[in-house]
Amino acid sequence: MTDTTTDSRPRLPDAAGTAAAGRPPIRPPHLLGRAGARLRATARALPWLLFGAVLLLPVIGFLLVAVTPRLFGQGDAWFTLSTFGQVMSGWTGRAMLDTFLVGTGAAAVATVVATALAWITERADLVGRGVWRLLLWALLLAPSYLESLGWTWLVEPQGVLSRLLGHDPVALRSVVFGPAGVVWVLATRGVPFAYLAVSALIRGMGREFEDAARTHGGNRRSTARLLLPILAPGLWAGFAIVFAESISDYGVAATLAAQANFPLVTGAMEQSISTFPAQFPLASALGWLLLGLVALALLAQRRSMRGRSFTVLSGRTRPAVRTRLSVRAQAGALTTVGGFFVLALGIPAFGAAAAALLPSGGSVTLTGLTLANFRQVLHTGELLSALGYSARLSVITATAALVLGAFAGRALARRGDGAAGRILDLLLLAAIALPSVLLASGYIFTYNLPLASHLGIDLYGTSALLVLGYLAGALPSAARLLSGSLGQVSDSLLWAARVHGRPATRAWTGAVLPLVAGSLVWTWLIAFCGTLLELPVSQLLAPPGSEPLSVAITRQLQGYNVGAGAAMTVLVVLAALALIAAALGVLRLLLPAAHRLEAVA
Amino acid sequence: MTAHLRVENLSKSFGPTRVLDGISFAVPPGRFTVLLGPSGSGKTTLLRCLAGIERAESGSIHLGERALAQGRSHLPPDRRDLAMVFQDYALWPHMTAAANVGYALRRRRLDREPSRRRVAEVLARVGLSDHAEQFPHQLSGGQQQRVALARALVAEPGLLLFDEPLSNLDADLRERLRVEIATLTRESGATVVYITHDQAEAFALADEVGVLEGGRLVQLGSPEDVYHRPASPFVARFTGLAGELEGTLEAAADAAATVTVRTAAGPVTAVAGGTARATGSRVRVLVRPAAVTIARDTGTEPVAARTLAGTVVDTAYRGRGYDHVVQLPGGVRLTGVFDRSAQQRGTAVRLLLDPEGCFAFPDPAAASTPVAVAENPEPIRTTLEVR
Repeated sequence: MTDTTTDSRPRLPDAAGTAAAGRPPIRPPHLLGRAGARLRATARALPWLLFGAVLLLPVIGFLLVAVTPRLFGQGDAWFTLSTFGQVMSGWTGRAMLDTFLVGTGAAAVATVVATALAWITERADLVGRGVWRLLLWALLLAPSYLESLGWTWLVEPQGVLSRLLGHDPVALRSVVFGPAGVVWVLATRGVPFAYLAVSALIRGMGREFEDAARTHGGNRRSTARLLLPILAPGLWAGFAIVFAESISDYGVAATLAAQANFPLVTGAMEQSISTFPAQFPLASALGWLLLGLVALALLAQRRSMRGRSFTVLSGRTRPAVRTRLSVRAQAGALTTVGGFFVLALGIPAFGAAAAALLPSGGSVTLTGLTLANFRQVLHTGELLSALGYSARLSVITATAALVLGAFAGRALARRGDGAAGRILDLLLLAAIALPSVLLASGYIFTYNLPLASHLGIDLYGTSALLVLGYLAGALPSAARLLSGSLGQVSDSLLWAARVHGRPATRAWTGAVLPLVAGSLVWTWLIAFCGTLLELPVSQLLAPPGSEPLSVAITRQLQGYNVGAGAAMTVLVVLAALALIAAALGVLRLLLPAAHRLEAVA
Repeated sequence: MTAHLRVENLSKSFGPTRVLDGISFAVPPGRFTVLLGPSGSGKTTLLRCLAGIERAESGSIHLGERALAQGRSHLPPDRRDLAMVFQDYALWPHMTAAANVGYALRRRRLDREPSRRRVAEVLARVGLSDHAEQFPHQLSGGQQQRVALARALVAEPGLLLFDEPLSNLDADLRERLRVEIATLTRESGATVVYITHDQAEAFALADEVGVLEGGRLVQLGSPEDVYHRPASPFVARFTGLAGELEGTLEAAADAAATVTVRTAAGPVTAVAGGTARATGSRVRVLVRPAAVTIARDTGTEPVAARTLAGTVVDTAYRGRGYDHVVQLPGGVRLTGVFDRSAQQRGTAVRLLLDPEGCFAFPDPAAASTPVAVAENPEPIRTTLEVR
């Protein structure tokens, strides 16, 4: 899963930043003058460069194979562009066009929904705002293929609806298994991203713009027309992020779109690699085009921001007063917001739960609901071993992402500090923008090259490579998340502890750790849950003989055991929720101060 | 507990910029030294070197017999036995006021009960007994600064460092806390180094004032010394002027090292600063606000050579009297000319200049520029008045 939101989130001015502004930043002593300083900066950048090489070089190698297949023994030409022509025609060409259209549609729907949602939750006194925000988080964390599967279980022939209603919902199925269904699932997945991009702007935009427009004679409609350009940077950011996320999404391409016979680029890439013999140049060319589309979206967003400076947050901005909704408006808003979440989360969840609870055959009655599927899951070792395998790898990945992310985040928070920070920033940005499918394809290709085994790198087909792939996906967002909270802790807090007699480690654990513990736990949980149910990297890099959870679950789509697969999904999601609740509970118990600080902030 | 601080030849650079350039000074045990300088003068870096947060490139720091930094050796901050009040207070937000103070006391390894008593005692001293269990965000700015002060005092360190502790507070609170810092630190007997860019604050607090310019310590002396015998035009300007007059040296007057300067506004007697002794050389006369008084026109005084004619251009009521801006012939304006009674704008007045508050320094610009009166000298105004 790629995460582009963290980059576009506006950084609020924090106390640490303003306090530290007056003094020179802390730098290490310069023993050898300027040359020494440069040497030290390079030395500090070195581990990150190495790390970046391990994570990103395979992708570069993979991308090169499209233009110079002979270099990698994949064809006759040293340099060719013919693969691109091949890709742009036939069914891959259709996949390209579909992907573009689906991405645009999903981005437009998500931006509109998210803006409306943000306006209602941030500027009106809608009841249950906490619940809605929680649901947005759930939407953000749930992998796209789970929502696809929920819909699939519901509408497929012999699915939940057909058995409940007694007849096959053909019309609904043709809608869900088609462009509309694909766009809807991708759009609902994109809503949290777009929400993050616009809500801060909407929250921070004081009432003064509205008041000024109204006092100068603008009616509601012209006021809205005035406010839209002010919100434009957020809207564009939201649109670009959702577009980039949607076109690089693999979960929907592998499930809903595959069922609907509706090819998308990420699915096409996976297919070109999994067929025998693998068509790497073709997949590589698709990768180029995908990357081009992502870059186009991000560029368009930057262009739309250029030359504009809508500083809506200033020291003078008064917090906006929430509009009081009348009872009727309140009911209407609740129905709309509730309706969205029912369609986005409720129905797929219902599909999964019902599929898990229904008996495998025969007529459906309320008393006929059974826990047999759950019993089967818990008694057959197959799915449990998949869970165990994925959980083990997720713990390793999340822990590594946390430790490396903390160091990277800290370096990132002191970005002005020379080459190391800039290189790191660039690496993370590249890793975030790379679609997971492309990343995984790069790993398969590069670590399978004869050169790799010549160099003694025998990672191909091992769990280590799978973890590496997971880490490449989890680390960038972990680093971004942590750079925010680590950057907010003023240096003087640590130095105050040192000056008042505490050695380095104990000063950090006493003065800094309690302040960042909350975000450390959150970062670990997000990385863990994201990896536990991760699909594209798992699908492509799983070593023979070991089946990651997501692969086991999606395999149920082939009609092998629908009930058990759904039961497994329900169990895993519940277990993940329980883990999150337990971790946050323990955190509150052990660090009551952290909880209090959250309340203050 | 209290100790002698010795800093010798301390230097440090950030990249190509030399921020500390061979700084040497000593603070006797229990004395209060204020380092005064504009931003960028290196005072914060110097303080951070003393604390051990920054590493100096060369030079040494000794506290009593112990070397805190010398050559390549560098004692980490936690082993220097000092305490510091930070500009942004640096209170740990997850600890109550009492816990913040108690954290700093743990280095003394006291038992629970004596430790608790000591924390309560120090919090009472800074007037925060009722706020011991509150978190920093529940306290006002002044209260937060008091907690930081209590935290610095609680373990009775040998050396106390203050990093512009009053700069984030409003004027009224600043004055009250200044008095508390002055009394509490002297009660504790600690050796104190305090940095600020506010000359009034520096003069009010210090036993000794050191003035920093561009990483060099340009003058170190008692507040009176610095005020009455500024070592350079920079020191004079930074510690407060009413205005500057350009002129030529007429004659070295007498043994008290005063000189007479012929200016566009008339002859002025001033203390000779620097080495401007040759008759006819170009000098600038820097005038302290306190040295200028409006002459009473009683009719009995002779029209002395030392009075200058001028016109009042602004009158500002200051409660105890009035601050006037007086324009002299030639265009120079003297600001902060105090008088108990108001002079209306446009009134012609005669000014009496006390030679003790006028300093003649060689004019470096004179060689290249013709005799021209500075249009807007913009002297740094000060609230400080020496009577």
